[in-house]
Amino acid sequence: MSDLEKIKEKKKLWEEKVLKPALERFKLEKSPNKFYTPLDVEGFDFLKNVGFPGAYPFTAGTYPLLPYTVVATKGSLPSAKGLVRAAGYSGYGTPEDTRDYYKEYQKRGLRGGPNLAFDLPTQCGFDSDNPMVRGEVGKVGVAVDTFKDFEIIYEAYQGELDLDKIASNFTINAPANIIIAFYAALAEKRGISLSKLRATPQNDILKEYIARGTYIFPPRPAMRMFRDSVVFLTKYMPKVNVTSIGGYHIREAGATREQDLAFSMAIGMEYLKCGVDAGLDIDDFAPKFTFNAFGGSMELFKEVAFQRAARRMWAKILKEKFGAKNFRSMLIRQPLAAHVGCSSTTVQRPLNNLTRAVVGAIAGALSGGPPNVYPPYDEPLGLGWSLEARQLAEDASRILQFEAKLTEVIDPLAGSYYVESLTDEIENAAWKELEKIDAMGGVISAIENGYLQREIARSAHERQQKIEKGEILIVGVNCFTGESELEVTVNRMVPHPYDETKREEAEERQIKKLAEIKRSRDSRLVNQLLSELKEKAKNESENLIPHFIECAKAYVTLQEMCDVLREVFGEYEPVGI
Amino acid sequence: MESKRPIKVLIAKPGLDGHDRGAKVVALGLRDEGMEVIYSGLRQTPEKIVQAAVQEDVDVVGLSCLSGAHKYLFSEVVCQLKEHGKGDTLVICGGIIPEKDIPMLKETGISEVFGPGTSVKKIAQFIRENVKESSLAGD
Amino acid sequence: MTVQKIREKRAQWEEKILKPALDRFNLQESPNKFYTPAEIEGFNFLEKVGFPGEYPFTAGVYPVYPYAAGTRGGGAIQAAPGLRRAGRYSGYGAPEDTRDYYKRMAELGAKMGPNLAMDLPTQCGFDSDNPNIRGEVGKVGVAIDTLRDFEVIYEAFQGERDLDKIASNFTINAPANIIVSMYLALAEKRGIPWSKLRGTPQNDILKEFIARGTYIFPPGPSMRMFRDSLVFFTKNLPGMNVTSIGGYHIREAGATREQDLAFSMAIGMEYLKCGVDAGLNIDDFAPKFTFNAFGGSMELFKEVAFQRAARRMWARILREKFKSVKPRSQLLRQPGGAHIGRTSTTKQRPLNNLTRSIVGAVASAFSGSPPNASPPYDEPLGLGWSLEAIQLSEDAGRILQYEAKLTEVMDPLAGSYYVEALTDEIEEAAWSELEKIEAMGGAVAAIENGYMQREIARSAYEQQKRIEKGEDLIVGLNCFTGENEIEVMVNRAVPHPYDEQKREEAEELQIANLKEVKRTRDNRTVNRLLQELKVAAGKEEVNLFPYFIECVRAYVTEQEMCDVLREVFGEYEPSENL
Repeated sequence: MSDLEKIKEKKKLWEEKVLKPALERFKLEKSPNKFYTPLDVEGFDFLKNVGFPGAYPFTAGTYPLLPYTVVATKGSLPSAKGLVRAAGYSGYGTPEDTRDYYKEYQKRGLRGGPNLAFDLPTQCGFDSDNPMVRGEVGKVGVAVDTFKDFEIIYEAYQGELDLDKIASNFTINAPANIIIAFYAALAEKRGISLSKLRATPQNDILKEYIARGTYIFPPRPAMRMFRDSVVFLTKYMPKVNVTSIGGYHIREAGATREQDLAFSMAIGMEYLKCGVDAGLDIDDFAPKFTFNAFGGSMELFKEVAFQRAARRMWAKILKEKFGAKNFRSMLIRQPLAAHVGCSSTTVQRPLNNLTRAVVGAIAGALSGGPPNVYPPYDEPLGLGWSLEARQLAEDASRILQFEAKLTEVIDPLAGSYYVESLTDEIENAAWKELEKIDAMGGVISAIENGYLQREIARSAHERQQKIEKGEILIVGVNCFTGESELEVTVNRMVPHPYDETKREEAEERQIKKLAEIKRSRDSRLVNQLLSELKEKAKNESENLIPHFIECAKAYVTLQEMCDVLREVFGEYEPVGI
Repeated sequence: MESKRPIKVLIAKPGLDGHDRGAKVVALGLRDEGMEVIYSGLRQTPEKIVQAAVQEDVDVVGLSCLSGAHKYLFSEVVCQLKEHGKGDTLVICGGIIPEKDIPMLKETGISEVFGPGTSVKKIAQFIRENVKESSLAGD
Repeated sequence: MTVQKIREKRAQWEEKILKPALDRFNLQESPNKFYTPAEIEGFNFLEKVGFPGEYPFTAGVYPVYPYAAGTRGGGAIQAAPGLRRAGRYSGYGAPEDTRDYYKRMAELGAKMGPNLAMDLPTQCGFDSDNPNIRGEVGKVGVAIDTLRDFEVIYEAFQGERDLDKIASNFTINAPANIIVSMYLALAEKRGIPWSKLRGTPQNDILKEFIARGTYIFPPGPSMRMFRDSLVFFTKNLPGMNVTSIGGYHIREAGATREQDLAFSMAIGMEYLKCGVDAGLNIDDFAPKFTFNAFGGSMELFKEVAFQRAARRMWARILREKFKSVKPRSQLLRQPGGAHIGRTSTTKQRPLNNLTRSIVGAVASAFSGSPPNASPPYDEPLGLGWSLEAIQLSEDAGRILQYEAKLTEVMDPLAGSYYVEALTDEIEEAAWSELEKIEAMGGAVAAIENGYMQREIARSAYEQQKRIEKGEDLIVGLNCFTGENEIEVMVNRAVPHPYDEQKREEAEELQIANLKEVKRTRDNRTVNRLLQELKVAAGKEEVNLFPYFIECVRAYVTEQEMCDVLREVFGEYEPSENL
């Protein structure tokens, strides 16, 4: 009798002689628990399914070792000796406010380049003086209207921290090429070669249509803009990542775990296709693709399995569908791995969110990432993260790395019957969904016909129903809410790093400044450049980024450029659900 | 002046508290730092501790208590040391001592409180800096 | 896929992929390890793991997991429908104070039985009016001198919560038989048959000599007392557990992980041997052995592996060394599983201890026990656990069970190359150490010759040195201690469940209580009974329980009984040669 057959027999006996009496004792119909054995991973082949970290199929990890030092440097992303990284997501108010914020943090030891959050007007291609966006200027991020604003922000990054020594992140999508142009113009002005710049623009427009909403143009012209970025960056800014693909937003919008994975892969494939269709060699640009993050949830094991499945799936796609030869093309490069997702946090008893974030960080460490405790517990309070909350999160990450030593072993769950089984399950489900999207003609069709949007809305709706029925339990929200439960609060001692007054007054200041710029620039040049932009935009094969750089230097505004493009490309009209 | 003899330390566990890990670690550590260390063992009454301190003519007495009885026990030791003419003995302590009790202990005559997380090096340094010179000048 | 092929592939990987990465980061060797099937060559699932609730119990003691985490007032002992459980470790001041505490907790929804912490005089066999123990009365637990004190405490447990409906835990060791006798006398007074009583006295005297310090008599007579409890319980108290063996204290005193496991097993074996030598059938009493907890640490995976190894080892000992045939004899029953231990918490930036306790709770769930986030974060402040800290801790346990669903799969790490390798490693090291101790003649011998004590002190000292050298990192203590670090503090809104004032005044109150008891009891009977006790104690084969029960009924005090025993048994004299 083979080993597996023996186990099968033993399992039957156990269910009869040991499990059944226990169920009867507790008056249970079926067991509330599962137990996995080698039977659940029949056919498993270690070298094929897992392999070694940093080697195909990368299930065990993207890299063969983890040199990260978690938040050893205050306020930055996990870094390591010799790696250049951006700081934590930040930015607010006017460029002056953001510059001053970075200067303040540098005094406190922050070392990373700016990880810029832009305000919604900027993300949606509007200027601060547009009456339509009143109330939004400088709120969720910094207001950027012209190249001048970049110059101001980067006053905080000079000398030892000049552009060739830092990395910048830009959370910008629809007008990403314009922001990239600002960065390039800044480098040129400072006499720094474009080839030395390190940055990651988010530049992931397709998810905007289904989960995040900062689109401007319809999908196809938006993909033309993407094509421009991948070609230009590959040629002139080889150290700048092309995109930061974000399943994260898709999951936060309500997608299931499997949808998150499938839709992310589909979107990634569309971007890869774009580069190949533009005549580039896959191995020349695929290594510059990154992932922002996938989604997360409280279910620790499922998120660990997800990460392993994602790595394996992307690697297979690059190798088998796109014929990549360079292993660097096959990597999922992301700043963190599994996590809980912000939508897992609660406004009720917020300090419990520290507990939740720690679960996420443990999942992160177990899935090959740094044990990044995120978000800070006061995330859902909508007041920005207090320094106290950040301290707790940073200390927690340190504790997980240095005391719990969770990064000591790479892919520590490799071989676990449960986790290998889960990994296969999630990957298989994602492939199925991917095939569905392929059959529709690809991800753009699936966006244009509203399929992705409807699916996400449906999943979100189903989840809400489960919560209301109590099938999904959330502590302090729909269970353990009795009178005697305490809300534990923290003593807020340290002033918030974002100055509230400044944030309130930012709009006015920015509008004034914009008026001044418009007054003092060369208006004839501006009009000329805009005219040229219109013509170039109409020509599908023209790469618009060099022209954006010219526009930038002449202090053409973001909206002025986008309005021209709106004329040529049209504006996206979202589909109803 | 004759060369200094090693600093003599008595590490004691007053009262019934049986948690002696810290006391033992400090004792071993101070020994490695070149001091002469006597460890009293558990269940010492203040009287017994003072008796040993006098008998052994120690320069330092270190008290450890984790049971919450420190306010009474430690002040008894300090008091009785004074009564026996050993008022210039350096008395330090550790264990579980809530912050709010520290001022009172210091007022009674405890020189310093070394709570969880203190390094032995720090304790040794404090002893060297604060032990009474006169008691080291030789026998 | 053969192990040979994997080894080959590994060599290639180290050459082609790992080495360039090491060069890139200027590293001599990798900061990380990676485990493959080659690391557990020869692994046999049925032999090494099996099914939960079945020999060798690696995957778990029970086949299902009915526990509900974060039950109000639950503490470390998780509640489950249909199970009678004691609550959170508690008790302070005079018996009145503890009784009132339990009444208040019941109002707040904590309905479990008392898990009694007793003060040090009680644990060490001294009465509250003994001048030598001034300052200690009612501090670390409630003061108990006579049956009257039990009667007062249990005023909080009547009617729907009478003794036949709850379980009681007594953290008592040297005078355990006396305290249990008080419980039995109380039951009698209330007309409740002893067979209906449920509870667990700690009754683990051997660890006191090496780690906890509340001993009274030397090891030999202490083991006679243990024999008495074993025989008496087995005969008369089928619902009570006989001991709660605690490697926990041994680890907290400084032992290494492997020493914790080995010494615990050795001590357990000594107790088992005691029962067998007394003529009992192993399967008649071994099912009533429990474990309090083993030690813990921040190293999550090692603690998970430890728990799996411990279950497997105990099962093997019972089956192979003691020839038990009932599966119930082979179970390692404990209220919790892996955890971080108290010594992992820091006084510096104490709210970080919440994070630490979550690591422990996750480890616990991974190792087959309820995800209990303990201790509450303010543990090292020495002020008792605030209700805020308890709230955070309870919520954390709930989040881990209901949101993270960590208890959904039993032994979820089964099969992991890393964890199976670690489990084997820890078990092998513990067997090695255990054999050393057995060669000395067993746990009692290893205590009498000071071996265990010396080993523990040595390990504790080595750990301290590593911390001071910065080889062991502790956040906020020896790293990340810059100026810009903030100590985050919680708003203390709710008064502490223990009344500070009462704790201060408890000693006086209890001395008065005791005086009154001594005045109103029949002192002639007391003296007679003490004489009878003395004679009985002098006869090794006599079980002293009936004598204790008579004594407590007559309101003989704990110290009066212990003093008689001190005369007969002698007192333990530790040899403190560091």
